[in-house]
Amino acid sequence: MIKVNNLVKVFSGRGKPIRAVDNVSTQVSKGEVVVIIGPSGSGKSTFLRCLNGLEAFDDGQVIIDGVDLGDSKTNINIVRREVGMVFQHFNLFPHKTVFENVTLAQRIVRKRTAAEADAKAMALLNKVGIAEKAPEYPSRLSGGQQQRVAIARALAMDPKVMLFDEPTSALDPEMVGEVLDVMQQLAREGMTMAVVTHEMGFAREVAQRVLFMDAGKILEDAPPAEFFTAPKEPRARAFLKQVL
Amino acid sequence: MPLKRPSVQWPWHGLLALILLGLAIGLWVATKRVNYEWRWARVPQYFFYQAEDTQAAPVAGTINKINPNGAYSQVDITPANGGQAVSLTVETDTLKVKIGDPVAEGDGIGAQRHWKIGPLSWGLWVTIWISFVSGLIGLFIGLITGLCRLSPNPALRGLAVFYIELIRGTPLLVQIFIFYFFIGTVLNLDRIVAGIGALALFVGAYTAEIIRAGIQSIAKGQTEAARSLGMTAAQTMTHIVLPQALKRVLPPLAGQFISLIKDSSLVSVIAITDLTKSGREIITSSFATFEIWFTVALLYLVVTSLLSQLLFWLERRFARSD
Ligand SMILES: Nc1ncnc2c1ncn2[C@@H]1O[C@H](COP(=O)(O)OP(=O)(O)O)[C@@H](O)[C@H]1O
Ligand SMILES: [Mg+2]
Repeated sequence: MIKVNNLVKVFSGRGKPIRAVDNVSTQVSKGEVVVIIGPSGSGKSTFLRCLNGLEAFDDGQVIIDGVDLGDSKTNINIVRREVGMVFQHFNLFPHKTVFENVTLAQRIVRKRTAAEADAKAMALLNKVGIAEKAPEYPSRLSGGQQQRVAIARALAMDPKVMLFDEPTSALDPEMVGEVLDVMQQLAREGMTMAVVTHEMGFAREVAQRVLFMDAGKILEDAPPAEFFTAPKEPRARAFLKQVL
Repeated sequence: MPLKRPSVQWPWHGLLALILLGLAIGLWVATKRVNYEWRWARVPQYFFYQAEDTQAAPVAGTINKINPNGAYSQVDITPANGGQAVSLTVETDTLKVKIGDPVAEGDGIGAQRHWKIGPLSWGLWVTIWISFVSGLIGLFIGLITGLCRLSPNPALRGLAVFYIELIRGTPLLVQIFIFYFFIGTVLNLDRIVAGIGALALFVGAYTAEIIRAGIQSIAKGQTEAARSLGMTAAQTMTHIVLPQALKRVLPPLAGQFISLIKDSSLVSVIAITDLTKSGREIITSSFATFEIWFTVALLYLVVTSLLSQLLFWLERRFARSD
């Protein structure tokens, strides 16, 4: 479903250029859940953002469901419909109600009728357990509720892949569970997911593979049981010692 | 002192009242000094006045009958050449003839009065509609220019910067002259069109900067969320960024519009009869210089403060989603 070959992303701002993603190759098959962990600044977000074209990469290849993002004939907007993304800070549209947040892109991107979009939105809000907040504005919701709306908003496009960039890092501890539950259910239903997170419990229970990133490179790629009990890389070991 | 005490306000209100009173007295003394005679009674007629329409006899003849009917009287004239009797209606207190009087064709019989809009009201109206139209066009220009200013295309960006710098770096009065005497002559524009055009271009440049700042103030995450859902750049702008940006820049935009109402007084230099020009014209005939200028100032003040109130109300309504 996701195929990445020798991906390179360089930020060349002031000072010396940063190789945020440095020659990364990996694959995620259909229905697989991959968790990406690593220290802050290791390039996890940048890698994830390259997968839906939010970040233009410098070299390499990203292929989503057979479509090459680097191809000049590829319409990135059509690829993005198939790739949902959930952000650390939710990024709900504050001037739209919860319900409108979930229907808007269905209407203008998927060109669904109002009836179709409304039914889909209601079903998804029910699924993430927040239907009663539909007429509210996002500012009236708790962080956990906002993140669940953001997940529903992404799911409304019927994506084939979901990307999560630290979806629980901005939440108060008591709200982390409700968001992880929704993600776990999604994984059980067979969604292909790439998740950047520091929730080791989630990685252990839900992920098929754990990727450990440091300094723009994937240093270790292993099933969670293996990774958490016997990490090969010294840097992965050091990282795990810090977070566990 | 951490303990909060009720602070005593009334002496300060008293002081404020005293200062304002002092100003008023100063004004009064100053006008006494120059022996100015206030003629406030002359002002209202420039808002509304009663025009007299003289009713003239359409034929030569004799007044045959006068039929008073309250404020109006019906006057019948028997034509000298013996045709059908003609009747006219005039206001009783303007009646100039008695029964039996001979009248020639065109002689005044009396008059009918009706209310007419005076030059001050008319000027106020011109100021309001010119400001409104040029503000609307300016908002549109500003929106387009603001978007161009942020465009990745260097040509669009350069044009926008050029236009904004050109307008912001020259006085409005000079722009009005150039627009009227140069562009207006080349394109054969009506003076009203030239005036509105100059004001719209002027306000457009300032609006563009306000809108640019508004767009830039919207968090990047909003654009990223919209784009990640598959929205195009244009859809993201119209559905996500602009609505939030416009809401945020409503106060400075309204301030710009309020300034426009005041700045519009400059179009009086190309002989557009706005509120300021009306004021100047009235003074030449009324000799009530101080009164008229004070009235004109008050009218501007009333319009701008009404707008401020409207803005206040709008902001409260828009605050719903916060
Ligand atoms: N827009 C940007 N401009 C310049 N440097 C950036 C930008 N975004 C990220 N970086 C740099 O790229 C590196 C990787 O960042 P990021 O992908 O956000 O790491 P992570 O998500 O793992 O914390 C960091 O060194 C960061 O400073
Ligand atoms: Mg990150």
